[in-house]
Amino acid sequence: MSCVGRPAPVGRRPSVPGGFVRAALLVAWAATSAPAQHLLVPMDDAQQNHLKSYGLAFGALKAGRKTEWFLNYRGGSFLIPDDPALRRKAALDGIRIEPVDDARLLAVRKEIAAANMDAIVLEKAPTIAIYAPPKSPPWDDAVTLALRYAGLEYTQIWDDEVLKSDLSKFDWIHLHHEDFTGQMNKLYLGFRDVPWFIEQRDRDFATAQRNGYPSIPALKKAVAGRLRDFVEKGGFLFAMCGASETLELAMAAQNVDIAGPFSDGSPMDPDADQRLDWPHTFGFQGARLEMGAGVNSMSDIDGHQVNVPARRQPLGAFTLFNFSAKFDPVASMLVQNHRGVVPDFYGVTTSFMKNRLKPGATILATEEGAPWVKYVHGDYGKGSWTYLGGHDPEDPQHNIGAPPTDLSLHPNSPGYRLILNNVLFPAARKKPLKT
Amino acid sequence: MTHCSAPRVPRALALLATLALTCSTVALPQGALVSRALDLEQGGRWRDAIAAWRQVLTAGDVAQGVLGLERVFTQLAMEDSLLPVLDSLLAQRPTDRTLHGVQLRVLRSLGRERDARKAFDEWVRMQPGDPAPYREYAGQLLSDGRAGAADTVLQAASRALGSTKALTIEVAQLRAALGLWAAAAVAWRDALVAESYLESAAVYSLQAAPPGDRDSVRAVLRPVTTAPARKVLGALELQWGAPRDGWRALAALTAADSAFASWSDFAEDAERLGAWLAARDALAAMHRERPSASLALRAAGAALAGGEPASALELVAAARARLQPPQAHAQALPLEIRALAQLGRAAEAERLIREAGDALDARTKQSYARQVAWGWIRAGQVERARAALAGASGDDEDEVTAWIALYDGDLARARAGLKRPSDATSDVVNAIALLSRTRADSSRAVGAAFLALARGDSAQAAARFERAAGELSDAAPLLLALAARVETARRQERPAIALWQRIVQRFAAAPEAAEADLEWGRLLRRRGDTGGAVERFEHLILTYPQSALVPQARRELEAVRSGAAAE
Repeated sequence: MSCVGRPAPVGRRPSVPGGFVRAALLVAWAATSAPAQHLLVPMDDAQQNHLKSYGLAFGALKAGRKTEWFLNYRGGSFLIPDDPALRRKAALDGIRIEPVDDARLLAVRKEIAAANMDAIVLEKAPTIAIYAPPKSPPWDDAVTLALRYAGLEYTQIWDDEVLKSDLSKFDWIHLHHEDFTGQMNKLYLGFRDVPWFIEQRDRDFATAQRNGYPSIPALKKAVAGRLRDFVEKGGFLFAMCGASETLELAMAAQNVDIAGPFSDGSPMDPDADQRLDWPHTFGFQGARLEMGAGVNSMSDIDGHQVNVPARRQPLGAFTLFNFSAKFDPVASMLVQNHRGVVPDFYGVTTSFMKNRLKPGATILATEEGAPWVKYVHGDYGKGSWTYLGGHDPEDPQHNIGAPPTDLSLHPNSPGYRLILNNVLFPAARKKPLKT
Repeated sequence: MTHCSAPRVPRALALLATLALTCSTVALPQGALVSRALDLEQGGRWRDAIAAWRQVLTAGDVAQGVLGLERVFTQLAMEDSLLPVLDSLLAQRPTDRTLHGVQLRVLRSLGRERDARKAFDEWVRMQPGDPAPYREYAGQLLSDGRAGAADTVLQAASRALGSTKALTIEVAQLRAALGLWAAAAVAWRDALVAESYLESAAVYSLQAAPPGDRDSVRAVLRPVTTAPARKVLGALELQWGAPRDGWRALAALTAADSAFASWSDFAEDAERLGAWLAARDALAAMHRERPSASLALRAAGAALAGGEPASALELVAAARARLQPPQAHAQALPLEIRALAQLGRAAEAERLIREAGDALDARTKQSYARQVAWGWIRAGQVERARAALAGASGDDEDEVTAWIALYDGDLARARAGLKRPSDATSDVVNAIALLSRTRADSSRAVGAAFLALARGDSAQAAARFERAAGELSDAAPLLLALAARVETARRQERPAIALWQRIVQRFAAAPEAAEADLEWGRLLRRRGDTGGAVERFEHLILTYPQSALVPQARRELEAVRSGAAAE
């Protein structure tokens, strides 16, 4: 510790108990407040605020400070330089930090080298974009909530930006429960007269016309194509909830009508299943579309089918796989957590059926004994994609109109940690990865 | 996927049940058959219950029998076994609404939506002018949360029947489910005209309206003068936390509208929800309509609980006129003493106690003496309070005596008497905090400050607490914090800030310093000074990291940063 070797200020009175207490207090003060070269941000159960810890690491990167991610070491801890500004932020946000001197750090590195752990250098704060409609409240999207709570900067983009601007300026794009089939999650069935639905439909239709597309499904297919190009050229894409399943369907259906008549005025192609083009999707293949316009489901990719009462499957818990940190650093980064088993949560798409996954996809989390998985990752072109099923990890039954999740009540949420792992892992991309 | 064909086992069980029915030789009367089936069902003997309900069917009670079978088969997850039974029964009774309703329910619970739709179409085909099929199917879809599908059914009804007049309830429920609150209110208003018994259903449906949409519901219901609409609005306001508005909606009802019963229901609900003044108003109106001592006394109790002792006195006086002296002593006098004590009219309370004389036992007199003593304290007459108490109790440890000692500045005696207070109001907590903080045994300034607080003179109380801080140096930050709390309650922001600033700057190591930072920051946030508020919250977190108030400061900081409005 940095206090070692510093002469302890001893009082004049030799009274043993008082002097001892005072000296002990001084040592304790020095241990917490004197500069110590490095600060370890533990991410195990000792951490008081896991989610804000990601913001601390992001802030260090943003300030150009060298930051390391110790995979599998104490729940995936971070190492940041000892800096008054970072200490102050940690104190304000209730983040536990542990000052570490060079000797202690050496011991930590030895421990990492000897076990299934690795130290990954994070080089630069990733530039983040969130695909979300204008005027959408932050609580409608778990990623936006997580980023805002943790204090990570992002840019909000929507169809116009995706179609017209240069997406390569972003390292990471997040999609949430957007329906890329253009059927607006089939909410037409239950909400067609509700003002917010009407506004949403009119807005999307206006966007389609502005960009020269005849319908919302046509617009969303074009957006899906642009997002695929973004990944192919080296971007990182993360999708949750219905965005994952519908993005796959939209990419597969570039030349076939898979939207119901209520969304584009024409019926679905009766042979749509056979005409889907799966080689151009990221993670799924061979899915069968839901042909019933009155059935609130898109395809058989989703295992839980939450909005179809007769098919709805109950929630369980999913287990995160433990990867080799030294040989699979990417997968390891994505599953860093202080919990190995996480309670499941519903979304428009809650899970992904194993029999629809492409062979190259990496399963990151699965439910024991179930035919579905929760969390998958893969490469496409020069980039990569990650899908996490479900809408909000701390609101398992999320319903339309439900109150927003207050993350200050869930600072240790293991589900939200998965989201933030994704945000941070592009920071490590310059390191030659073995996966 | 999860669509599956009907399993074989349930059909075999259904066959067994039929055999059991055939073999049964005991001929019981229909009522006894139903009772036996219910007993078997409640005892969880599902297989036996199936046979028993089939016997009920055979005996001719089709509705009871089929509903019983539906419940039991649902318990066994064998709903599909009911379908053959329904097919046979519908062939005999093609227009039976119960049978059609059960058929739709079973098909939907099995996920056979297309078959349910076909069954509905068949029912409509057989009874083309009857609203029942539409009502049943739309109602079931609504209870599933499938508002869009229900809307489709109701639009079909409108086309087939010429209007949805016969389906007003379903239309109202649908609009509420769609979040069209004004339209839902209109539909319920119209439904209530013909069927006033739907009041509860209307309240249940409309109470879910979010705060931003409630005015649109009010705008529909307020102009309507019919009793059912008024009752619905009254109940809604009560549920929405505006009980006085609820009472105003009901107050205009007349005897012809069965006002008394409506007011009685409202008063009970208001009492249950702790809306005491609305309850008082309703009970007082009932008393005016049908004068009775019990109603007037109940209204007086509600007035006291609502903090309006003056109106309680008027109501007790009205009750007294209808009570014999013994009843008056037992029922009216306790309320009068409480009210007079709260108003600081201790002399009148003493007179009433004197007049009651020997009708009161010693224990009651002692209890009244304490209340009278509080009355004198509120009037600022500590000596008379002491005298009132001395007449009934000589116990030095008595809590009221301790309070009087505190007002006298006798901190040692107050400390001894307040060791185990009977309740923990903020005044009690403040007094105990001070007495345990200071080592001083006397302080006239502290006594004067607490006495001013008891009299409700907050301006004097704040000034005297601040003055006392100079007298009791070991409790100075606590006394300044008390002064600041009183100033905040008086909405005197500048003096409150000055006091907090003094605490933070001069008593940085005191436990009140963190509280001062937090309250100071909150006040700045309410005033829209977010920069100042952030500075205070950050100062608290960084300066007092071990304080129990740090989590609250972090939440406040989070709220300021996210731009949330201050509460």
